[in-house]
Amino acid sequence: MIIALLITSLGFATLIFAQEVTSPPLVYGAYYAGTLFVLYLGVRLLLPHSDVLLLPIVTLLTGIGLVMIFRLTYDVEDAENLATTQAIWILVGSGAMFFIVVFFRNYHRLFDYKYLLALGAVALIASTFTPFGYEVNGARLWVALGPVNFQPSEFARIALVIFFAGYLAEKRDVLTATSRTFLGIQIPALKYFGPVALVWAASLGLLVFEKDLGSSLLFFAVPLLMLYAATGRIAYVLLGTVLFSAGSLVTYLLFGHVQLRVQSWLDPWEDPDGAGFQILQSIFNIADGGLTGTGLGAGFSQTIPEVETDFIFSAIASELGLLGATAVLLAFLAFVYRGVKISLLAEDESSKLLAFGLTAMFALQTLIIVGGVTKAIPLTGITLPFVSYGGSSVVGNFILTALLLVISERAGRREVEETLYEGGA
Amino acid sequence: MNAHVRRTFYVFVAGFVTLVGMLAYWQVYARESLANNPQNGLQTQRSIQTPRGLILAGDDETVLAKSVGRKTGSDTVYDRVYPQGEAFSNVVGYWSTKYGAAGIEIGQNSDLSGTAEPATLDGLINQMSGGPQPGNNVVLTLDPELQRVAYEGLASSVTGRGAVVAVDPNNGEILAMASSPSYDPNTVDETFPELSSDPDAPLIDRATQSLYPPGSTFKVVTTAAALEAGLSPSQIFNDDGTYELPGYTVVNYKGKKYGRVTFTQALVFSINAIFAKIGVEEVGAQGLARMAYDFGFGDSYEGFSLPVTPSNLGPPPSEWTPGTLAQNSFGQGPASSNAFEMALVTAAIANDGEMMEPRIVREIRSPDGIILDRPSPSVRHEPLDASTARELNGMMQRVVTEGGLTTAEIPGIKVAGKTGTAETAEAPHSWWITFAPADDPQIAVCAMVENGGEGDDAALPIADQVMEAYLKGRGR
Repeated sequence: MIIALLITSLGFATLIFAQEVTSPPLVYGAYYAGTLFVLYLGVRLLLPHSDVLLLPIVTLLTGIGLVMIFRLTYDVEDAENLATTQAIWILVGSGAMFFIVVFFRNYHRLFDYKYLLALGAVALIASTFTPFGYEVNGARLWVALGPVNFQPSEFARIALVIFFAGYLAEKRDVLTATSRTFLGIQIPALKYFGPVALVWAASLGLLVFEKDLGSSLLFFAVPLLMLYAATGRIAYVLLGTVLFSAGSLVTYLLFGHVQLRVQSWLDPWEDPDGAGFQILQSIFNIADGGLTGTGLGAGFSQTIPEVETDFIFSAIASELGLLGATAVLLAFLAFVYRGVKISLLAEDESSKLLAFGLTAMFALQTLIIVGGVTKAIPLTGITLPFVSYGGSSVVGNFILTALLLVISERAGRREVEETLYEGGA
Repeated sequence: MNAHVRRTFYVFVAGFVTLVGMLAYWQVYARESLANNPQNGLQTQRSIQTPRGLILAGDDETVLAKSVGRKTGSDTVYDRVYPQGEAFSNVVGYWSTKYGAAGIEIGQNSDLSGTAEPATLDGLINQMSGGPQPGNNVVLTLDPELQRVAYEGLASSVTGRGAVVAVDPNNGEILAMASSPSYDPNTVDETFPELSSDPDAPLIDRATQSLYPPGSTFKVVTTAAALEAGLSPSQIFNDDGTYELPGYTVVNYKGKKYGRVTFTQALVFSINAIFAKIGVEEVGAQGLARMAYDFGFGDSYEGFSLPVTPSNLGPPPSEWTPGTLAQNSFGQGPASSNAFEMALVTAAIANDGEMMEPRIVREIRSPDGIILDRPSPSVRHEPLDASTARELNGMMQRVVTEGGLTTAEIPGIKVAGKTGTAETAEAPHSWWITFAPADDPQIAVCAMVENGGEGDDAALPIADQVMEAYLKGRGR
């Protein structure tokens, strides 16, 4: 924890030094460190048996994100200073985390409302089609409620993971023990599989029409992985892959913007000042970083459109180099590792599935966006968890972490009790 | 169920490993090629955000080029400013993010841009930490006053087209190197398309990059070869105005006949027929070519900071007809040269036959004043032995005293020189090579005015002004 805060402070110090800015950042830094430290202590106090590493990793990632956002938007021409806003969102996220830790320590209650949550999730996604919703960059992802603008899909997907975890855990046996086959693939009874398919299709369909490719991909893959984890049927994965390929082909043929994305991935040089501009700038900046990076504040990643949100990883790779970027990726991997471990240690199936679903979502989101900005896969607009600028994303990920923490508290306490019991015997 | 979760985790790990591999591909393997991609504007942006070093004249005070910072938002970008303007632009050049660079700006770019190997500890630390590295300062050998005199002389000459090069024969330092017409390097970003299509080619440095028939100034090379071959300056020749060869007859300029003259007088009156005879009968093709090559013909002066087009003698000497040899002997053949080369020839004669390595950069200094490089004078070549050089020196003094070139005379100082009137389809190019004081040479000058008429019409007065300004400046 201390190390995470130190790294963040060092980052700010470097920036202040490099850009010779008179320093409101010191104030932010202190305030940010204070918030997360209090949160850390609070969580340790309330959930003494919970995972000890998750929060420091979150601190590190949000810290790096804050440093980069500050560097990319503070006192930069044509850019609004977003670091303050991001800091406020981190505060809100911390509040949300605290709320969950205090009131949802018995998270099993959530599973009782799983149908409601699923309905809520679909409604949330659909809300962008209400007059409150509006389009940004051609995708209809945003809802404005009074002064607050948010991306409902960031929250809807957590609700959906809870639904899937609860439902799959309940119906796991019937889903696995099916005898009917179709073309050699075992087909579960529609009665049991129906709700899963329905929620899945509804959310996915809506997202596709919102043109939110990144979220669509997540919504598609995460339930599939959860299904696999619950049933162990590789057939689901295969079936899913076939469905995915077919679905991709259909969307590719149906939607011009999907074609454009794929084309600018395959050959960005064809239109280097238009469709390929963003990805090429990203690659140029990443390459500019080299092994050790240009140093904080010395890169030119402002040339990438949307650098503070989707492309923040390019800026990190540019200024911190291969070494820094790999370190950040390792931090993400550590988070995923802890998440998987929580899932493995969790006492019951619904908890296991919930922890796994949340972790898988986190991991996939990271892989999709980092793969996108490094041109490993076609680009789909999605945030880098905790690091990218974006209130909904930050708050959503804090909630995700909070859920993982309460699950780990259970597992941790059980472990301690077992040890005590054994010791006593 | 745990087994499935674990398996999925391994897939995620594989995904992360792939991403690191992808990053390594971009940041290590493909780095160079991406950095040099024409679509990649990052290097240009970086270069305008780093101040380049100063370019200073030889007096160490006159600033020829500097970077001036300008705030745009949180970034400072630097504009290149040339306070001395067009008189120096053929040497200093320009530096444009749109149109590239020229002159010292590109010739010494690795010093000026700070991308050279770090030479001081500060530089090394800066480079290691990726911090900005201001460029090093480059001090030239140019005498700013001389450069001005030379440029203004050219600009106000008959055609306004020509070049002047002045050298210190003792150490090879270029004291002035002017070319006209010139351009304002401060506005190249806007004017470049116009300049590059201008028929007068202001972007070309006429002193080093163009080639012209050297005319009679080349006779000093023939003379040198003849002296080395054993001909005496007092050798008597009988001139009837022509020199006949199988299939070609040399006729004197304006058909003049000089009768009985010495070798020295042949040089003083620049008698073509006698030089054709000397070339063919005394020196020979190989002898003349060897002397010209010894003087630097055919040489591109690799180590010099500016590009130099090698002077040449046309086809290789083994293929010369007697006519080619005869014509080259008095500078009207296929041979071509420029002011830079002819100034070095003159300087070598002045310096007792030793040609010093020409230098235009005196010193490279780090931004905090540490001298990083200071090339010392070195002998490049020795085309003549000292006694031959002195004989030739004497003959060239008599060109001034007996040739009626009163403009070239400087009271109290012995001046040596040779005119050139290089015939072309239009008016002849006017040449003048000179050095002074002849008994202790301090400066050698070559002036050339395109289509300027006879040697003593256009070129001589400019060179004379340059020389007088220099010698006066030295308190003589």
